[in-house]
Amino acid sequence: MRLSRRRLTVYCVAFLFAIVMNFAVPRLMPGSPVDSMIAQLGPRATPAAVEAIKARFGAIEQPIWQQFADYVVGLAHFDLGVSVKYYPQTVLEVLGRSAGWTAFLVVTAIVFSLCVGVLLGAIAAWRRGGRFDSFVSPFSVVMIAVPPVIIALATLFTFGVTLRLLPVGYAYDPSLDPGLNFTFFGSVFLHAIMPVLTLSPYLIGEFQTTMRSSMISVLGEDYVTMGRAKGLSEAAVMFGYAARNAMLPVLTNLALMLGAVFGGSIVTEIVFNYPGLGLTLYTASVARDYPVIQGQLLLMTIATLGANLLVDIIYGVVDPRIREGRA
Amino acid sequence: MMIGAAEARAESVLTMHIEEQTSWVQNFNPFDLGGRRQSTMDFVYEPLVIFNDYDGGKPVFRLATAYKFADDLKSITYTLRDGVKWSDGKPLTSADMKFTLEMMLKNPAVDTVGVGETVASVEAPSPTEVKINLKDVDTHFPESLADFPVVPEHIWKDVKDPLAFKNETPVGSGPMTEIRRFTPQVYEQCRNPNYWDAATLKVDCLKLPQISGNDQMLALLPEGAIDWFGSFLPQIDKTYVGLDAEHNGYWQPPAETVAFQMNFKSSSPGNAEAFNDMTFRRAFSLAMDRTAMVDIAGFGYPVVNNHASGLPPRFDSWRNKAAEGAQDEWLAYDIDKANKLLDDAGYKKDGEGFRTTTSGKPIAFPIIVPNGWTDWIDAVQIAAEGLRKIGVNASVATPEYEQWQKQILDGSFEAVMNSRADGPTPFRGYFQSLSTGFGGRITSAPSRYSNPDLDKVFDDYRRAATDEERKKLFDQVQVIVADNLPVVPVFNGPTWYQYSTKRFTGWVTKDEPVMNPEDHDNNRMRLVHLLRLKPVQ
Repeated sequence: MRLSRRRLTVYCVAFLFAIVMNFAVPRLMPGSPVDSMIAQLGPRATPAAVEAIKARFGAIEQPIWQQFADYVVGLAHFDLGVSVKYYPQTVLEVLGRSAGWTAFLVVTAIVFSLCVGVLLGAIAAWRRGGRFDSFVSPFSVVMIAVPPVIIALATLFTFGVTLRLLPVGYAYDPSLDPGLNFTFFGSVFLHAIMPVLTLSPYLIGEFQTTMRSSMISVLGEDYVTMGRAKGLSEAAVMFGYAARNAMLPVLTNLALMLGAVFGGSIVTEIVFNYPGLGLTLYTASVARDYPVIQGQLLLMTIATLGANLLVDIIYGVVDPRIREGRA
Repeated sequence: MMIGAAEARAESVLTMHIEEQTSWVQNFNPFDLGGRRQSTMDFVYEPLVIFNDYDGGKPVFRLATAYKFADDLKSITYTLRDGVKWSDGKPLTSADMKFTLEMMLKNPAVDTVGVGETVASVEAPSPTEVKINLKDVDTHFPESLADFPVVPEHIWKDVKDPLAFKNETPVGSGPMTEIRRFTPQVYEQCRNPNYWDAATLKVDCLKLPQISGNDQMLALLPEGAIDWFGSFLPQIDKTYVGLDAEHNGYWQPPAETVAFQMNFKSSSPGNAEAFNDMTFRRAFSLAMDRTAMVDIAGFGYPVVNNHASGLPPRFDSWRNKAAEGAQDEWLAYDIDKANKLLDDAGYKKDGEGFRTTTSGKPIAFPIIVPNGWTDWIDAVQIAAEGLRKIGVNASVATPEYEQWQKQILDGSFEAVMNSRADGPTPFRGYFQSLSTGFGGRITSAPSRYSNPDLDKVFDDYRRAATDEERKKLFDQVQVIVADNLPVVPVFNGPTWYQYSTKRFTGWVTKDEPVMNPEDHDNNRMRLVHLLRLKPVQ
């Protein structure tokens, strides 16, 4: 399962680039955290209080190179700093309470979409040109094209506001205390339905399209013909022989799409008031909370790079041909 | 799923929405203006005295029972209510108030009311008396102490950094001091077991669900779970009242005056010359289609202000009729009159049809308004259209709020639409936005206006010993402002207040306009409002 040195170098360079970008991007936005903090105080802030706040968060107004040095040293110690917006909470605390919800949302959406998308793709390819294929496949393209914000608002309006079937906010019923019981998990499930359904169409569309084209090429392989010749049932050939092998490009695609899924989750979380990283990033951006934005972007970079690395490893396991030294 | 699920019927739980947040952070530090939960003041820390602006600014005594200036007006003595206890049962005495004031004097970061500028020293002659020695005569002082929280010395004396302290389980003097439940999505703040005014208090707990914005609020309203809130709801009769006409109500009385303010110290010579010319300001005012601003930009919620003095309607009892009449004519919408005014004064048009100053310098300015404040942006758009009709090259610029604020404070802007923060009497708003001393120091004072006559009246007001004198002096303020038109008033924005009578009665309504009904942190009267409420049996 060794990875080539070249691949590891690519990951390292990407990571270093991300560190620099995370530092630079928030600072390119107009306004500073101190400005926004004083703005929050409004006309109540006396000049003395403003001076005191500037002194307290003075680090933010240091020269850029000094800030960068502090940032890198902090990173080395897993110290991402203190949030300005949620002062005196640390960035790790702020991100910690929301990362879990986003991970839950994204993973659930991916697993759900993977099952649905792969199944739809496999069936569409198996009977390509049929009635099922000619409806589902163009529809997948439509689903890829519709932006998450439209789906989110339409879902919210239909099921949340008009029909009032599903809750319109929060990760679970606020009157419950988190615990290992059925009521709590039921509530979490109920509150995740709309956000997950909002994230899924894009994923299902992507998976379906990839799976279909991959499956079509696999269906021409000899071992599929052999499976049929053996007199195996249609289902056994379709899933046991063809779909299993056709899955590989879908996995690659999954790694590439992670960034887009995170992007979609930002919009979804804002619309559904879901307490994940997306909502946190949005609030932090509005408040010019550099430490939180930085930490958040770093976390997303690590998550995306990590997922790619994981797919690289899994790929090696699934497909022995690309393992190093044997090619 | 429902926020106000049927829990513990015996207790009366009032569900409120005060502030928009994406996650609750347990912070009840009254000195952390940006970070504190907005239910900290009044509900955890009771004010000394509240001034009711709907009742001519009359004092409502809470922790204090009286205050009195010394004969030389150089000191003021507060008498504290006898027998008041902190929520942990310890007595609240003058030592606590002295301690709090001295903490503010020592540490400007927690000086939320600006006592550092006015207070020389504090004494506690008896357990119920606090004598504050002032640096200079300032009879306006009790009003500036309106937002002052008294904190218990026995808790805070051990706090090293009073601004960083989160005060998660506060010991307070107000009606709702016990934090019973605190999660990122909801918190509950319940009855103070030692509350001095417990006999009046009929609400047992406040419940505050986390709501991140108006859209979220609109989606939640059909559940009918919120009792008291103050949100901007478009088409409120349909989106809120229509949901449950029997219980849902609102009252959105006009609040502070929104006005166009010009930078008298503009770095552009043409603009500065025009802004400093009263004829130009009058023409500016005549070009304002105030009705369109209210109806189109404000969904009909604001009220047109057509007094040259800019007095907000809620201060009607302070109104000086002598300041109105002739000067108010400049607040009509009259393009022809404005054009004639500028023509006669010698503002000639250049090749592009835009006017130059009488000395031939170009006039061109953007009016800044924070990005995202859609109703205000629309109003500024209407203003710019009007100005272009009279040949003034005005445009709209929408910087981010932080940039907007920065431009106001550093004086790099040209013109702005802005409101001022009114106090319990109209004085503070005028004083802060138009006195020379405040010019450019706070966002309410962008225009950097300087008028020695006005400054003198302000000064006299702060030295006035009686209400009668103050009233007379404020009459003069209105005359000077109306005569000079330093800012161009356009409308009064609404107060945001909605309520439901499903679970509680006693709400302040438009039929009984006895106080500012808002539950927001800028309104101290919300404490008195809470004490009026009774659960429906």
